Order: sequence, then C-alpha cells, then structure tokens
Amino acid sequence: MTDVPTQPTGATVRKTNSGAGRALIAVYGIFALAATARASVQLLTKFEQAPLAYLLSALAAAVYIVATITLARGTRASRRLALIAIIIELLGVITVGTLSVLDPEAFPRATVWSVYGIGYGFVPLVLPILGLAWLWHTRPASR
Amino acid sequence: MIDALAYVVIALAAVAVIWGLVTAVTNRPPGKAQLLFAAGLEIVTVVQSIIAVAKLAGGFRPVELATTIGYLIVIVILIPIAWFWANAERSRFSGIVLAVAALAVLAMTLRLLVLWTPAA
Repeated sequence: MTDVPTQPTGATVRKTNSGAGRALIAVYGIFALAATARASVQLLTKFEQAPLAYLLSALAAAVYIVATITLARGTRASRRLALIAIIIELLGVITVGTLSVLDPEAFPRATVWSVYGIGYGFVPLVLPILGLAWLWHTRPASR
Repeated sequence: MIDALAYVVIALAAVAVIWGLVTAVTNRPPGKAQLLFAAGLEIVTVVQSIIAVAKLAGGFRPVELATTIGYLIVIVILIPIAWFWANAERSRFSGIVLAVAALAVLAMTLRLLVLWTPAA
C-alpha cells in the first residue's frame, strides 16, 4: 500500500486494484455473478414475459462484468473503461429506478435496478457512487 | 435443501461476516484460523448444494427451478474466489472481502429456503 509504482513518464499511478479497492471489486464481482446468473435464467427461460426488463438485466450484468474486470486490472486504459461502465451503471440504476417507481407497468418483472435496487438492499444505487469516488481517489497525479 | 443444514450455513456465514469485519476494524489481515473457518463454511455450503441437487435429481421440483439451480451453483464459487482475492493482497481489506462473500452466502441461503417450495 505504501509503495506507489512510477511510470516511465514520471507520473504516479495509484492502482484501482489495491487497498480498499479490493473490497469494492469484491462487491462488484458478486454483482457481476448475481446479475449474470439472473439475466441468464430470465433470458433463457422466460424472455417473452418481459423482454425490456430482461434485456436491461443483461445490460446490467454486462456493466458489472466490465466494471469488475477493469477495476481489477487497474491499468490506465482499464480506468477509462471502468469510468464509462460505472457512469452507465449510475445512469441505469437512476433511470430504471425512477421508471419502475413512476410506471410499474413497464417493469412487470424485477431487474437488479428496479426501485433503485431495493431487492439488493439499495447496494446497486450506492455502488456506482463508491466506484466513481474510488476512481477519483486513485486518479493519476496531474503532470 | 435441509432446513437444519441451511441454518448451520447461515450461522457459520454470520460468524465469518463478523470475523471479517473485526479484523478489518482492527487493521489486521485474516489469520490462519479465520481462513480455515472460511474453508469450513465452504465445505458445508458445498454439501448443502450437493444434497439439494440430489433432491432435484430425485424428482423434487421447486417453483422456480432454473433460479434455484443458479443459486445452488453460484453459492459454492463465492468463498473460493473471495479466498483467492483476499490472499492475493493481504491487508485489512482482505477481511472485508471475506465478509462480503460470506454475507452473499448468507443472503443466498435465506433466498434458497424461500425458493425451496414445491411447484403446485
């Protein structure tokens, strides 16, 4: 935790996959697994019941997988992908959460993001905020 | 699913969660006893999944069969992955990693108890 690797350019890189980041990645990993399993079951066994909700489940799963892998890699390039994935995640949970409250008819079946992730203790709402905070905390020092 | 075994899993997982948080708060990486305890939780969890799959093979049909199978598979891979991840960089956060995985095992076992209802 104390030794910060230095790149040839001289800019220090605080890695996203070290320290507290490892706990964050563990939570992301569990959501990647849970969302993937859930989306697979939904898409394979009952897609016609609620195509929109189930496609959103698949999108959520993809976002969690990308965020988990990119945060765990912790390179400069992977940070950019992580940022994009986590922004999509935040927009997704806010959009789907709001729509599922305003128009429950549109979401007859639950997704990870329904009602801001109430089925998962609102962790899906808190997670992207923590993710962005972590990316900010570990941002490369300005040159 | 056997209710009594599920409650054992839940109790062991709860202890693993608390243990992980305690080592994180006291700023220590998980010790050998803690890692062995996590391994014990994993063994009981695997036994639970094997028994449940055997019952499914024996003809038991829960309301949501696919979801139940998904839970029985995912629940056994959480602790091994967390174990690897916690040991690859040992710090106070290793305890949180183990706690997060154990909490997921706990929640999934509770959900399995609900899912384990015979299809009408």
